[in-house]
This record gives sequence, structure tokens and C-alpha cells, in this order.
Amino acid sequence: MSTALKDDTAAGWEPLIVAFCCNWCSYAGGDLAGTSRMSYPANVKVIRVPCSSRMSPMFILRAFQRGADGVLVAGCHPGDCHYSTGNYHVRRRLSAFKRLVEFSGVEPERFEVRWISSSEGDKFAEEMADMTGKIKALGPNGKMRDARWQNIT
Amino acid sequence: MAEHNLEQVDKIREAVKQDLLGGRIDLLLGWEKGHYWWQSRPLFARCEEDLDKLAWDSFCAVNLSRYLLEELKEHGKVGLLVKGCDARAFNRLLQDNMVPRDRVVLYGLPCPGMLDYDRLTEEAGRALLSITEQNGQIVLITAEGETTADRDQMLLDKCRDCLYPDPVVYDQMLLSPQGDKEAPERFKKVEELEALSAQERFVYWEKELSRCLRCYACRQACPFCSCRECFVEQENPRWQGRAYQPSENFMFHLIRAYHGAGRCIDCGECERSCPVDIPLQELNRKLIKDINELYGDYEAGLDAELDPPLLTYRPDDPAAFSEK
Repeated sequence: MSTALKDDTAAGWEPLIVAFCCNWCSYAGGDLAGTSRMSYPANVKVIRVPCSSRMSPMFILRAFQRGADGVLVAGCHPGDCHYSTGNYHVRRRLSAFKRLVEFSGVEPERFEVRWISSSEGDKFAEEMADMTGKIKALGPNGKMRDARWQNIT
Repeated sequence: MAEHNLEQVDKIREAVKQDLLGGRIDLLLGWEKGHYWWQSRPLFARCEEDLDKLAWDSFCAVNLSRYLLEELKEHGKVGLLVKGCDARAFNRLLQDNMVPRDRVVLYGLPCPGMLDYDRLTEEAGRALLSITEQNGQIVLITAEGETTADRDQMLLDKCRDCLYPDPVVYDQMLLSPQGDKEAPERFKKVEELEALSAQERFVYWEKELSRCLRCYACRQACPFCSCRECFVEQENPRWQGRAYQPSENFMFHLIRAYHGAGRCIDCGECERSCPVDIPLQELNRKLIKDINELYGDYEAGLDAELDPPLLTYRPDDPAAFSEK
């Protein structure tokens, strides 16, 4: 099993990052990063969603509850949405939610939104490395974690 | 007994009696006195005798619009007494297509602001027997004698920061309007919290939310929580666990507040109905403040024709995250 799933308190702690990627741009961007043999940290676990506007705020909180140290939502650049307007709507929705999550006491770096197109394999790898670095510096996230959640290695 | 404004009550009763007996409405939603003199609860009046119980005093804080959802299932046409916040709540339900406009008759009651019993008792320093009101002053009557207090200081929190005491939608205005108010301190507590560090805010919310019993009174009282199936009761997927622990509290309270983003009319019923005094309005107002800052000023419930900010967009919208 990857080191990302090891115990928080262990010396070799590695962050766990959940990245929700839209099917049409960001997930394809991740694919491109892979086929181009770019490497990005294994701490990032990608979950594919049909569109960034599929994101429900419950997904984000549930990720934090079940062990995520950081959550990233990635979608098409504004104007490029496969469904025309999905990312315009989600920009408003997640902006409001990001501020609410910060207001409740979670560090702003732990929840991010990025626009990554299917041709930006390099940006995908960069953003994942960048996020992993920031979360590593912050340390494990205890906030909003379900007390019953356990690392199973 | 608290002093009823008898003249006003008669005026309201006369107006609604005609409609109720004449068949224009099948039910009137109003207020009646509760178990104690400082409580006014909803009145469901179906006949002339019921109307005798009608009350209109300084304790009619309950937002009645929410009751329409149930009552419209059984009654063809419902009459509703609306204060400023009830009227905005009605607009909220109208925007959500939860009530048909033509089956509701709205009677407008400009609201002087409702009183907070806890505040009155604290001011009096001992058990209150009753109060009387005159010219913006309140006479607090206790067994030991009488003291006076400034009415504006004795209002409920939700009424202190009220911007629109006059109904914004009505079929018939029954009393004379009060005029819009100012609420310079509306976002004061939100700004104070924003100034703290993330860790301090987390400690604050963890402590405040730890009292939550998950009784969902805030949801039941709320005019924007009108879903037929709420996420807290969904079985599959089960978003809301029943366990008594911080992560479940955050799940409920953040999502509840977020579901009101751009929709919350800031009526404060959630906070008022909370049995453990969780400052829910701070979460609601944080969202109102942010959305106003990012996407332009919008007051939910003022105009039912205007799209709520999260249901629309502009291509050049700003974001709260980096868009590079």
C-alpha cells in the first residue's frame, strides 16, 4: 500500500489528497500527464466526476471526514465547459463554499479549485505537486475528520 | 398579561373575518397567545370562534410562511398574516415553486420588531409579571415594582438587524408602514470572526457546534429549507451520520448554511428556534456577505422575479481561488 495511507502520527507521514477531476478536461489532462510520462506525487487520488458542477459540497466534507488532508476540484477553463455553463456555475458555488469552509476554521490551502484543460498535462502534474507540497508543509488535517476513521494499511 | 394593541388586533380581525366567512380563504394563519404571556404561537383559524384568539403583540416572532407548505395540502386557499420577514419568506417559497401565488392571500403587517423575553428578564433583574409599551419605551412590571427600558434595546437579535420591517409582498396592507431600517452592525460578528486565525475559528466553531442535539429545529423553522427530502434524512448515500462528534456537526451546519447560499432571507428563525443557542446566523450571514462582495448586492426574498446569485453567472465573474 502507498505511504499516503499510513498512520498520521508515524514519522514518515505523507498527505492524502483527493482530486475531483472533470471528465472532459482535467481527467483527460491527467491522462495526458500519464501518457507523456510526467510524474506527479502518488499522494493524489483522483476521482472522476462528469463535470466540475457535479461537485456537491457534501463530497468535499466527506473527503475531509474520511482522511483527506487536502481536496482539489479541477475543471475545464471557464468558457470551455463541455456542458457550456457548468464551470461558470461552479465558480460561484465553490467560491462561496471555499470561503465558508475557511470561515469554519480549515486552512485555505486545504481546499482548492483549479482549471486544467485536457491539453495541459504539464499543468496537471504541476498543480498536483504544488498542492502536495503545500499540504506537506501544513501537516496532517485533524479538522472535520471523523473520529472513527482509521488508516488501514 | 402583555398589552395587546387592541385597536390593531380589531382591525386585523375585521379584515380577515370578512374573507374567512365570505369564503375567499379557507384558513387563516396568524398568531395566538401561547402557554405564557410572552409567547405567541401560530394560530390556524378555520371559523369565527377561532379568530377570537387572534393576537398581534410584541412576541409574534414566529415566521408563518413556512406553515404554508403543510396547510396548502389540506386547504384550497390560505390567508396569511405577514410581517417583513414572513413576506420575504413567502417570496423565497414562491421562487422555489413551493407555493402557488393564487392560492394565498397575504395581509401585510408592518412590524415594529419583536421583543426578546430573555433580554427583558435580564433588564428587570427578576421574574417579570408583565410589560406595557408606550412611545418606544417598555415598562417592566415585577413583584418589586416597575422599571422602564428602551424598546430598541429589548428587541430579538433577528429584529435588531432587520432591514425591511414592512412586507415586500402583500394583497392588502392592514397597518401603516414603518419604512426601511438601517442595520450597521449586521456583519459585525462575522467580521470579528474573520479577523481570527484559522485555528481560533475552528476552536470557536467546534465549541459552539458541540452543543448541537441534531434536533433539526433550525431546518423546520427555515423558509429556505423546503426540500421534500432533506440530505440529513437520505439513507443512500447517507451524508449525515447520527454520531455525536465534531465532524458530523460540521457536516450538518456547513451544509445547512450552504443550502441557503444566495437564498437565505436573514429572518433569523433558525437561530431563534435553536434550543442550545448556536449562532447559526453567523454562518448564514457569512455567505450573504461573501456573495454580496463577489457577485454584487443581493437581498434574498425582496423580489421573487430576480434570479438568486448562485443560479446565474457572468462570464467575467471573480473567484475566491486562483484562476491562473
